[in-house]
Parts: sequence; structure tokens; C-alpha cells
Amino acid sequence: MDLLAHLEAYVAVAEEGSFSRAADRLYIAQPVLSRRIRNLEQHLGGELFDRSRRQVTSTDLGVLLLPHARDVLGRVDHLRQTARTALASATRVLGVPPDCDPAALARVIRAGADRGVTIGVQELSAEERASGMADGSLMFALLRVAPETASHRVPLGLASAVAVTVSSRQRLVHLESLRPRRGTDSGSPPSILVTAEDEIGFATERFRKAVARAGLPEGRVRAVTSNATAVAETLAGHAVLLCAEPFARRHGLAWSPLADVTLHRGYELATATRRVGQRETPALDWLEPLLAEAIGAATEKTTVDSGVFAPDARSGMAARG
Amino acid sequence: MRPRRPEFLASTADLLSVAESIFEEWQEVGAVGHLLARNIDTGEELGFDVDTPVPLASVAKVPLALVVLDQIASGTLDPATPVTIDPATKSVGPTGLAAFRHPVTAAVGDLVHPTLTVSDNASADALFDLVGVDQVDERLREWGCAGIRIRHRMQRMYDCAAGVAGNDFGLALELAIRDDVAGQHSIETLNPAYANVGSATALVELLQRIWLDRISRPEATAELRRVMGFQVFYQRLSSDLRSDSVRVSGKTGSFLYLRHEIGVVTADSGDRVAIAVLTRSHRRASTAHDIDLAIGAAARSAFESLRA
Repeated sequence: MDLLAHLEAYVAVAEEGSFSRAADRLYIAQPVLSRRIRNLEQHLGGELFDRSRRQVTSTDLGVLLLPHARDVLGRVDHLRQTARTALASATRVLGVPPDCDPAALARVIRAGADRGVTIGVQELSAEERASGMADGSLMFALLRVAPETASHRVPLGLASAVAVTVSSRQRLVHLESLRPRRGTDSGSPPSILVTAEDEIGFATERFRKAVARAGLPEGRVRAVTSNATAVAETLAGHAVLLCAEPFARRHGLAWSPLADVTLHRGYELATATRRVGQRETPALDWLEPLLAEAIGAATEKTTVDSGVFAPDARSGMAARG
Repeated sequence: MRPRRPEFLASTADLLSVAESIFEEWQEVGAVGHLLARNIDTGEELGFDVDTPVPLASVAKVPLALVVLDQIASGTLDPATPVTIDPATKSVGPTGLAAFRHPVTAAVGDLVHPTLTVSDNASADALFDLVGVDQVDERLREWGCAGIRIRHRMQRMYDCAAGVAGNDFGLALELAIRDDVAGQHSIETLNPAYANVGSATALVELLQRIWLDRISRPEATAELRRVMGFQVFYQRLSSDLRSDSVRVSGKTGSFLYLRHEIGVVTADSGDRVAIAVLTRSHRRASTAHDIDLAIGAAARSAFESLRA
């Protein structure tokens, strides 16, 4: 039996001196209340109320146990209160990509503090962010999705010590233009460094394919585990780095966006859907725009055209020259 | 692709180091394969993995053309015989009569030209139908060309690729690369056991005999040498060789991950070097300019180190 509900009935009847008033107070039907009292009396092994008079009075046992019953209910109430307070002030853990702008992340934390919400920011790899959402250790995370369907699109480009494009104004980088020019002996062409944030599933696949289609050997692309190493190699002029513009700017690198927008990053802010107590995880409207800023998301919505020009398919399959 | 160290072949220590550096340069652009270059007058040579049978793709059009020209030279086949190529039944391809959208009638003797110069699949298969695939193979064995096997028409390559991948070139290429890694072939024309195959040695041997008139009849070999000189594809073997004083008579072969070319480099100085380059790559692209250039660089290094 639900001892707490039964004790509640007992205390209510004792305090109201009436079964009907007690039932009203507890918002339950009187027969339910009477049954609870009978069950409790059975459980305790003696009557709690003398029902023989017009006015309901407590028996000696009923008087003796009343403070103990109130004590049990009071402690349970305290337990619930503590849980509520703890939940209200709990840190909300947010998983973000490891190359976010630290100043923008600080703004996220401060905006939370202003609203009485503690945001714990964790810089995690794309896989860790996804698994953190799955196992419940994260309440929010920026997850990688294809740029065509993403709420937030972050232009990816190539960072280099010296601008890869000749013009002073920012120009689009076409992968084909990274092929070494014939007739010039410029030594070995620079590697294209890819950090962990872009070495995930479909994004890797797309990029490698685009590199092959642009006529570059697979060996030109190199995965790096450390952002610091990547920046160092790029600054030294040995490589170009695939990254977002704010990251390049922070490290004093020249940057030009990739012309092929299907190679850009796409993000979706995921929010844990589990119920906390009686409440859903609150939607934090103010959070998303600040995060978009931290990852360097494009402000305007560009349409992504994934259509690729295909020459005659049948001819391509046949033996050629 | 992590290739094992190949078996090098070289007449001298200097030529060995040329072969080794070619192998390394190919590795850098992601190509592996087979190379043999031989000075057809001195016999000096260099190369690696020269005896492996490799699916030939369009390189098979050279032995086909030789058999056709042999039959013409011997009088078995009239070069004026008209052949009609119908768009509804012709073989698939991007060039030559394969690209025509209306029926065309041409003489047998002329079909050899587009077959070799623009790698025309429709002309090649019309010739195959005329002389017979088995007869080409048999004739080669009579001539003692042991390392070359002809087992199918050109269209079979398209049919096998389309059979597993529909008309999706990217998918066919992915499957071919995956099969190459696994060592089993779902596209039969990439399987050396079923494809038209040849080794670098056998192909260089064939070129050498064609240039020295030691096979078929002199009228046939002379015509073959003449037409091979008109090939329009310069992006591969001849990409770094051609000048008014150096000519390349070649035949390319490209199919999914295969990039081949065989040919003879001749110079005004009189030097003649036969070269067979048979490569494959896991590059997921149909055009790989740098691999073609690496083949061209190999041909140039080989020619310059083998010429007198």
C-alpha cells in the first residue's frame, strides 16, 4: 500500500475532526478516504478513530501516532523540496565543437547566468557530442548535419599563411585550383589538413570525393588530431587548413571560403527530450543565436545546390581512349 | 593503396634507379601498376612487375587492329567491304562512330582508323564481329603472343559495369575499387581470369615485332604503325614527350580505375623505345590529370635514359 497517501488521510481526518471535510481537503471521495483509514488501522493493528460518536475523535493510539505521522510527511515534503531546488539550479551541460570562439562561448555562459541558468560548456568532438546526447550526459549539443538541411551553416574554407587566392578581396576557393601548375617547379604542393571536426562520416566522405574529382591525389589530404599542430603547420606555410573563418582569423591566418557549399559545415542544436520531474527541459530561446555566433554560422540563408554536372552517363561507363 | 615493393627489371644499375624513382612518383599520386620500356634496337630495358596479366581496356584494340590488317594484307578480307553501324545496336562510347546518332556505313579498312585514333568502341566491335573474338585470340597464339588474351568485345566492359551499377559511373568505380581491395571482382571485365589481358612484357614484345616487321605482314604492320601515329589523346604517355623531333605512336586504355597506354616513342635521332604502362588507382575520379602526367613523366624518363 501507498503508506504516504494513507498517512496523509490519517492526519487530515485528525486535524479536520471530520471524514467529509478531510476528503474535501485531499480532493478525494469520502469512501476512498474511509477505506484508507481502515487499511491503515489494519496495517498498524489498532483503531485510530472512535467512530461511535457523532464527532469523530482520535483513539489513544491515534493521538500517540499523530506527531510521528506528521513527522514522516514533513520529511517527505522536505525530500521533494530539495529535489526541486537541486533540479532548478542544476548545471545544464552543453556540448560544442572544439574550435568555437572562446569569447562567444563566454557570452553564452554569461547570458545563462543573467537568467539564473548555469550552463556548463564542454568542447567535444562531433562523435562525443552525439553520444553525449544519446546517453543523457549532455542536455544540449550542436550536432553535425548535412549543410543542405542544417539550421546553422558554417562556411568552411582554406586557411593559409599567405592568401591562396590572388585577389585582395575574398574569393572563393575551387579545389581544382589547388593542383600544382605545370611548368613550374614549386616543390611538393602543400597538404590539406583536416581537423577532427571535419573528419566525421558523411562530411569526410564528401570532402574526399570532391578532392578526387578535382584531380588531387588522396595523399594531399591529411587528418590531424591536434588543432595546435594544424595551426603551427599552416603558419609555417607547409599546409593549408580546412576550417571556419573565425578560427582562421583568431590565429592570424588568411582564409578563403570553399566555393562548393555542400562541403560546408551544418549544425543543429539538439535539446534533451527526457522529462525532469514534472517539467520538460526548458527551451532556451536566447541560447541558439548566441551559439550560432560562437560557431561562426553564416547569417544569411544560402541555398545549397547539390546538383552535380554529369556528362553522358553511358559514355562514362564504357571503355574510353 | 600500400603496394609491396615490386620486382624491378633493368639492364643496368642506372636504369634500375630510373625504374625505382618512377615507381615512387606513381605512388605519390596514388597509382600502382606495371611498366616496361625497351629500346627496340639495343634491347636495353627498364621496368617493374612486367609479367602480370592486366585487363587491357582499349589497349586490346591494338591486337584487334593487327589481326584485321593481317587479314586485309593476306587478301582474306576486302578493305572496301561496307559495314553499317546502327545506333540501336552499336557499342557505347563517347567518341567516333559510337557517338553517332544516325546509321553510318563505312569500309572495313577505314574502321581501323577511328578504332585506334579516337578509341571508337563501335568501330572496334564492328571489326570484332567481322573477324570474331576467338579468331583474334587464336591468331595471337599462332603468332606466339603468349601473354595477350582476347576474350570479349569492347561493349562487354560497359555491360559488366552497368550490370552491377546501372548507369552510375561513380558507383561502378566505387565497386571496382572495393573489389580491388578485396581481391575479388564483381565486374568481370576487371577480372584477369575473364578479361582481355596482357602483361607489360607481352605488349612491348608485340610493339617491338610490329615496328621491326617481325609479325604478320609488312603491309599490315606498316599500316598499323601509320594509324597509331594519329592517336588524338596526348594527355598520358606523350604528355611530356612530344616535339617536332620526338613522336609517340600509342594507344590508351581507360576503364574505371584502369589508366593504360602502350606506344612507341621515335625520335629524329633514330632512337625507338617501346613502352607499356598499365596502371590502376583508387582515386575516385574519372579524370586524374596528375596520374596521366606521372605516366607521361615516366615515359619521358624511360625514353631519355634508354635512347642512345
